[in-house]
Amino acid sequence: MAAAGGGGGGGGAAAAGRAYSFKVVLLGEGCVGKTSLVLRYCENKFNDKHITTLQASFLTKKLNIGGKRVNLAIWDTAGQERFHALGPIYYRDSNGAILVYDITDEDSFQKVKNWVKELRKMLGNEICLCIVGNKIDLEKERHVSIQEAESYAESVGAKHYHTSAKQNKGIEELFLDLCKRMIETAQVDERAKGNGSSQPGTARRGVQIIDDEPQAQTSGGGCCSSG
Amino acid sequence: MSLKSERRGIHVDQSDLLCKKGCGYYGNPAWQGFCSKCWREEYHKARQKQIQEDWELAERLQREEEEAFASSQSSQGAQSLTFSKFEEKKTNEKTRKVTTVKKFFSASSRVGSKKAEIQEAKAPSPSINRQTSIETDRVSKEFIEFLKTFHKTGQEIYKQTKLFLEGMHYKRDLSIEEQSECAQDFYHNVAERMQTRGKVPPERVEKIMDQIEKYIMTRLYKYVFCPETTDDEKKDLAIQKRIRALRWVTPQMLCVPVNEDIPEVSDMVVKAITDIIEMDSKRVPRDKLACITKCSKHIFNAIKITKNEPASADDFLPTLIYIVLKGNPPRLQSNIQYITRFCNPSRLMTGEDGYYFTNLCCAVAFIEKLDAQSLNLSQEDFDRYMSGQTSPRKQEAESWSPDACLGVKQMYKNLDLLSQLNERQERIMNEAKKLEKDLIDWTDGIAREVQDIVEKYPLEIKPPNQPLAAIDSENIENDKLPPPLQPQVYAG
Repeated sequence: MAAAGGGGGGGGAAAAGRAYSFKVVLLGEGCVGKTSLVLRYCENKFNDKHITTLQASFLTKKLNIGGKRVNLAIWDTAGQERFHALGPIYYRDSNGAILVYDITDEDSFQKVKNWVKELRKMLGNEICLCIVGNKIDLEKERHVSIQEAESYAESVGAKHYHTSAKQNKGIEELFLDLCKRMIETAQVDERAKGNGSSQPGTARRGVQIIDDEPQAQTSGGGCCSSG
Repeated sequence: MSLKSERRGIHVDQSDLLCKKGCGYYGNPAWQGFCSKCWREEYHKARQKQIQEDWELAERLQREEEEAFASSQSSQGAQSLTFSKFEEKKTNEKTRKVTTVKKFFSASSRVGSKKAEIQEAKAPSPSINRQTSIETDRVSKEFIEFLKTFHKTGQEIYKQTKLFLEGMHYKRDLSIEEQSECAQDFYHNVAERMQTRGKVPPERVEKIMDQIEKYIMTRLYKYVFCPETTDDEKKDLAIQKRIRALRWVTPQMLCVPVNEDIPEVSDMVVKAITDIIEMDSKRVPRDKLACITKCSKHIFNAIKITKNEPASADDFLPTLIYIVLKGNPPRLQSNIQYITRFCNPSRLMTGEDGYYFTNLCCAVAFIEKLDAQSLNLSQEDFDRYMSGQTSPRKQEAESWSPDACLGVKQMYKNLDLLSQLNERQERIMNEAKKLEKDLIDWTDGIAREVQDIVEKYPLEIKPPNQPLAAIDSENIENDKLPPPLQPQVYAG
């Protein structure tokens, strides 16, 4: 679903000048390097004293992929166990999720598995999942086998990436790949809907943040006869 | 849009189809049930009257604002951001709550916060369903001025907005969810029309949408904020009570990465609390969001000063929770619901504001479900703190009340000192007792030992079994000794 940032945006994907807006959530236990990963991507800095940004919890990046403009909003989430139950509030309406684990920490990989289960349950197949093994600069201390991680990713329809925020490895590829996949999903979605006319349904999917009740499709009873 | 408004006609009764004035022609819901001729007359009359009122009110507003500004300049010092401000806001809130309760009894009491909301003429004209409040008027003026820069598109937008507002007037009986749906439809349709028909560039559309939101929500606020048909108010009170019960939660328990001993940081914390409390005083969803964003920025600053690195969500969320607990913002649930229902969705979903809003929702959800485990406490401790029997804060009185007055601070210090003294006294007593016991033990021990030894080696004094004369009997060379001297008497 490509909810264009500029308030809806009419016309199909063919319309020039239209930018995709994607929301990507970042999930992972504390200390797996979520923050370093995004800071490396958006600021190209690692543990740097000169990082200018005030915060690393909400970052945006503008991309141009094959002539298509993409506005990427990256939502960091609190990874502590005590906040686990809040996950659904964060990842509602996201187009992609990056699930980060630390290759030297088996536990963090288990957490990723939990999240995948949850995400698939809540959002179905509409969301593009990326499972990321971070800290490959610490290969010697690896505790999660490459094979296990990759076969797991495949089994849940996610893609697996190896990254190192410290050495700036694999990060650019990760985000580029994710964006391409999200564009594809958005295009399929659009085609299925025909044109933009039925967009309000999707555009409003995320409006209700607190209520757990399903969105009532209102204006249902109304027919078009004038009074 | 026109399609939409016509669709609403289905709710109108058969008898309502005729012109309300009874001229015999058919009326139209878009004209409030009048026929075209009567509508024009009514509208014209109301319009004239309104222009007149607008003038008067605008002038009064100008004067009032100038006065307020002048007085605030002189009276409010640099330290206006302190505790007294919270207190004031909270008292405001209390009085407001009273009026909300009253609302059940009087149909048209006011909900709004601004003192400026004088004499709400209860719809004197059927055409313009609006309360005559200064703020509303100012916003309308601004809106019209703003639209003038867009010429024809502006005119059309104004027409659509007007139609929408009139439509909403008849929807007040619908559930709040349905009203929200209507507003969301309206946002979407207007934005789309602008882009496809008006060929307005996206950045411009966003700006116009902001203005539209401001205009319509200023007017709808009093009907759709915390409406009586929902249990929003009940939820407000529940969360308020809950936060009050959790007053004892310390930053350490939440692992808040903010050190309030640094004056700059505590300043930021105070500012963040002020911002989040201020949210309730705004009417437009976007302004409310702006308050949350401002609060978040202050939190980030506080974290940055403490940790000297950009804050991640792991740092931010606990701090936001702490701020909410400390501030106990008024009508928290109502505000969240209102923003959710009536904010322009494009802002709420993708933007930075949306992110902070989501975090606030998370914070509230966390506070509602908070238990011993989420604070790393034992169940007994948690229960004890919740019941108010003990407070973990006593030791940290210093860090918890930077905004308390001097006397209270001194009291905390003294209490602290007393408890320390008490502890020391007890320790001394204990040690003295121990010493006493030791001494007793020691004497006992010695006595026992002596006894033991005495028993082991009894002191036996054997009586002499030989006559004294035999004392030398064993001497072998006795006979070699000279005979003992005999006493002799000398006659002198």
